[in-house]
Amino acid sequence: MKTMNKLSVYIHIPFCERKCNYCAFVSFCAKEEERDRYVNFLVDEILNSKYEGIVDTIYFGGGTPSLLSVQNIKRILDALKEKFAFDNKLEITIEVNPNSVTQEKLAAYRDLGINRVSVGVQSLNDASLKSIGRLHNSEEAENCLKLVGNYFDHYSADLIIGLEGEEDITKFAERLIDLGVKHISCYMLEVHKGTPLFKLVKEGKYIPLDDEKVVASYDKLAAFLKSCGFNRYEISNFALDGYESKHNIAYWTFKDYIGYGAAAHSFYRGKRFANADTLERYYAGKRKVSSEKDSSLIIERIMLGLRCFSGVNIDELRKLGYDVEENPNYADYLKSGVIRKEGKNFFLNEDYYSVSDYVIKHLLP
Amino acid sequence: MDKIKNIRNFCIIAHIDHGKSTLADRLIELTGTISKRDMQDQILDSMELEREKGITIKLAPTRLIYEYNGQEYVLNPIDTPGHVDFTYEVSRSLAACEGALLLVDASQGVEAQTLANTYLALDNNLEIIPVINKIDLPSARVDEVKEEIEDTIGLEAKNCPCVSAKEGINIPDVLKAVIEQIPCPVGDASGKLKCLIFDSHYDNFKGAICLVRVFDGTVKKGDKILMMQTQKVYEITEVGIFVPNTKEVDILSAGEVGYIAASIKTIADVKVGDTITSALNPIEKPLDGYKEVQPVVFCGIFPVDGARYMELKDAIEKLKLNDASLQYTPENSTALGSGFRCGFLGLLHLEIITERLEREFNLDIITTAPSVLYNVYKTNGEMLQISNPSNMPPAVEIDRIEEPIVAVNVFTPPEYVGAIMDLAHEKRGVFKDMTYIDKRRVQLNYDIPLGEIIYDFFDSLKSRTRGYASFDYEAKCYSTAELVKVDILLNGEKCDALSMIVHKDKAYTQGRKLTERLKKIIPRHLFEIPIQACIGGKIIARETLSALRKDVLAKCYGGDITRKMKLLEKQKQGKKRMRKLGSVEIPSEAFLSILKLDEDDE
Repeated sequence: MKTMNKLSVYIHIPFCERKCNYCAFVSFCAKEEERDRYVNFLVDEILNSKYEGIVDTIYFGGGTPSLLSVQNIKRILDALKEKFAFDNKLEITIEVNPNSVTQEKLAAYRDLGINRVSVGVQSLNDASLKSIGRLHNSEEAENCLKLVGNYFDHYSADLIIGLEGEEDITKFAERLIDLGVKHISCYMLEVHKGTPLFKLVKEGKYIPLDDEKVVASYDKLAAFLKSCGFNRYEISNFALDGYESKHNIAYWTFKDYIGYGAAAHSFYRGKRFANADTLERYYAGKRKVSSEKDSSLIIERIMLGLRCFSGVNIDELRKLGYDVEENPNYADYLKSGVIRKEGKNFFLNEDYYSVSDYVIKHLLP
Repeated sequence: MDKIKNIRNFCIIAHIDHGKSTLADRLIELTGTISKRDMQDQILDSMELEREKGITIKLAPTRLIYEYNGQEYVLNPIDTPGHVDFTYEVSRSLAACEGALLLVDASQGVEAQTLANTYLALDNNLEIIPVINKIDLPSARVDEVKEEIEDTIGLEAKNCPCVSAKEGINIPDVLKAVIEQIPCPVGDASGKLKCLIFDSHYDNFKGAICLVRVFDGTVKKGDKILMMQTQKVYEITEVGIFVPNTKEVDILSAGEVGYIAASIKTIADVKVGDTITSALNPIEKPLDGYKEVQPVVFCGIFPVDGARYMELKDAIEKLKLNDASLQYTPENSTALGSGFRCGFLGLLHLEIITERLEREFNLDIITTAPSVLYNVYKTNGEMLQISNPSNMPPAVEIDRIEEPIVAVNVFTPPEYVGAIMDLAHEKRGVFKDMTYIDKRRVQLNYDIPLGEIIYDFFDSLKSRTRGYASFDYEAKCYSTAELVKVDILLNGEKCDALSMIVHKDKAYTQGRKLTERLKKIIPRHLFEIPIQACIGGKIIARETLSALRKDVLAKCYGGDITRKMKLLEKQKQGKKRMRKLGSVEIPSEAFLSILKLDEDDE
């Protein structure tokens, strides 16, 4: 019998009670019946799919997966169980919003085998939460974390850096840690074209933190988390030892993963592909296949490697036909301390995390 | 029947957009030279680019046969380029004719170009027939335009043909006027061969082709001919006419228009304006009016992707095959690498060549700021002709610099006189004359340095007069001016491709504007970059581009990986368009920003 590869599964739940005004992701407001219909298609997609592997991580992302009924979550997990073998150290994560969970739901999640919860806290400042269109306030966020802590050991919180007036968010991190959070993801606010926030910013009605302050604030947060024993295992992710997200690491280390649901992306046996990102097209079974040129493999290696603790392996790049050491920027950056080399790998130095895109771009072929 | 009596050789001259090519098409159609089915609008404008821009660059003479009053006439309309850059070519085409149709737009009236071309036609003693076009437009004011023609040009216009070339209205009137008013050619078919080359083009199989008007004698295959300017002798391999494609004939004789092929290797050997005679029995004196064509506007052309230098070289060589007036020499720039310094007849010529390089050869190119030819007198008595700012000797070695001056002629409605005077003043113009032609039209004359015209004079004129003013210019003289070279330093390193020669009084403002522009265009780096403008060793303006502090730290999960990769892939493509000077990356737009310095900011 041949040995089976490990497989990660992502389930996309593209529904929200209301869309936040900075959000450019695929998500819709929909009624209960629409959500049931979606899950029907999702279950069908899982059961009819032809992938092989032992599933060791499952991630319910969105949107707001906690908006689904427990029954629907169960249907999805049952379908996966029917289709795949599960690893005995299976990590199952669900994203929740502070105002869409109840004690009953959390208990049911635990009973279904879910063992990791990611809470979309974003901020603990009521004014900030309101201005970016979140439905919860700080008190609700804290109560939610307390509740989650009653049922789970491993839970994470998201924070956004760069919101108007928030120059120092270490106090939020401190509070989160007090509430038992063991994993923090922190992203910079992105103002995407076409979002309501973009319009507000353009009209001068919302003024995001300026670049200098964002960088200072991020540095401060990173230093604080480090002092609390959190490792920065990816450029925007921090965790206590043993509390890293296995699912995230799978993404960054080129493990196979399958995405089910509208707009879900997959990486399977070296190929990247995705489902259509409107419901109608998803229901019609539409797929998008990304091109898999060698050049994109190189970009991928460098991008993910530099963002991650693992670094980029020079020999692996060479196998793909790219000698990074011949890029004049590589030597420049080594000399000026932007990157460092250990063995056959090179890494981005922490001082330059805030300009990672620039550095990545300049190290591409 | 005396054949020569039934030939009419004539040009159509007009201001841009007055409908010259459309009229030529109608004439072809009416005479049945091409069946309606094969008619493609504006046949004579053979290049795609010409058709798109609505301007004619290359002349294409087409022989038309027309029956009038029971006799068969041979009509040779010679279409002329209606732009100041090609004045010499126009003048040679006019020299090949006995008459000209002066086409005037019924709503626009007399324009600067109309006047300039009319003078050219008068210089060549042509019979000029005014034709008023676009009479179908609601804004047509036929009677007023007739008066304008009579008042400003002094041509009788009372009974001139009034047509709509677009709608095909009254076109036979034009043919009637041509036959009745334009004199037939005068020439002696039995005399010694005397032929004018009024244009040339290159054919891959036949070599360089001479487009000729035979004045005296006859010419046929096998004849030995002498080009009087180059003193070269060739044996004719083919003579023919255009219908409008080439058609071989046995003989071309006095009064006729056609082409001669003689295995001439390059177009540079065929000089427009040269006289062809018999090598065995030559005439003594060539035809008057020959001029060696000299480029007046210069710029550097570089491939955006340095690796495509050879492709650029091939492309320029190919264009040169058909365009003797295009000049080029290799140029090396520290900022832009290998490319070419090219010389053009004018700005339109420059624009056409660069567009053809991009469109027909699929090349991405960077052009440096256009420059004119300066006479630089050194303190040691030497005189250098310099068109490239990088070749300017150090200031201490320069005694004085002379710049070319052109006489500018502007036609405008009276309400814009003030705006035009301001513009001319900004461009260091010297007022010469102002004439009120009628209630709606004023003619202004200025002497302006050509170096000021080639930047954005035309665009500024159009925008400040809402497109109502027209202008034309001709070379006048060289005159001493206080000119200085302004260099740009990026992170302390001189960027040669951004150097410019400007008047001393404008150096400070131009330097400041350019540094400001560059600050906006150059992306931030991991380190701070000073951007300085200087004259010699003296800094006259400085901006500082601060270091990049952050790009967004966003999620990078499943779908985001693809999203982010796409972004990086896109940025990678953009990076190819960057040039590197030392450790500074410069986007190719930066080199164009120098062209737009006089534009008001935002």
